[in-house]
Amino acid sequence: MGKNLKLKSARAAKDMSQKNIADAVGVTRQTINAIESGDYNPSIKLCIAICKVLGKTLNDIFWEEDNHE
Amino acid sequence: MNRSGLDEMQLLKRNQIGNQCFLLLLYMLMIDTGLYGFGLRWINYPANIMIILTICSGIYVIRLIAGNAYVGPAGGRERTALRTMLTTLIAVGIGFAVVFLLKTANFTTNSRDNMAAPILFIVAAVAITVAATVAIVSHIQNKTDL
Repeated sequence: MGKNLKLKSARAAKDMSQKNIADAVGVTRQTINAIESGDYNPSIKLCIAICKVLGKTLNDIFWEEDNHE
Repeated sequence: MNRSGLDEMQLLKRNQIGNQCFLLLLYMLMIDTGLYGFGLRWINYPANIMIILTICSGIYVIRLIAGNAYVGPAGGRERTALRTMLTTLIAVGIGFAVVFLLKTANFTTNSRDNMAAPILFIVAAVAITVAATVAIVSHIQNKTDL
């Protein structure tokens, strides 16, 4: 699983730290860090919570473009 | 958020570590029993089980702390401090209870288990050293993760 750079850039655009998002969605900072670095695959519930905090859709943050199309 | 206060990644880690430590405990007890069957008694009865349990529970706790799956995000500073205090009090209480039980049960009548006390001491010392190392490593990781 690759790094989630979309999440990182969306977070930076909102000027939020990992800790800010973690507090907002009720997880630890390490969990957000693991999602960004691709070490953890979050549940759909957590994905939606993160998207709501960042004001983005699931497609914006978590959809991976298929290069074979 | 669940009742344990851990988030979903912490729960996943805790379950994984718990399963591995349970299997480790099972294998160590089986090896101990097997050695006894072959006539090799490395240490007498109560101490061998105590050491195996201490090693497995120690590994479990250390891995939980190292994997950041011990305290959840719900607990702020106050709850963490309260939890640490309660854990410390319970640990001290259990320590006293174990010492009291060992003295009253008079386990050390046999001359073969002269090594029990030093081994228990070494196990505890190693566990404390490893726990301190984990605390330092976690502290460094917290600084470098961002």
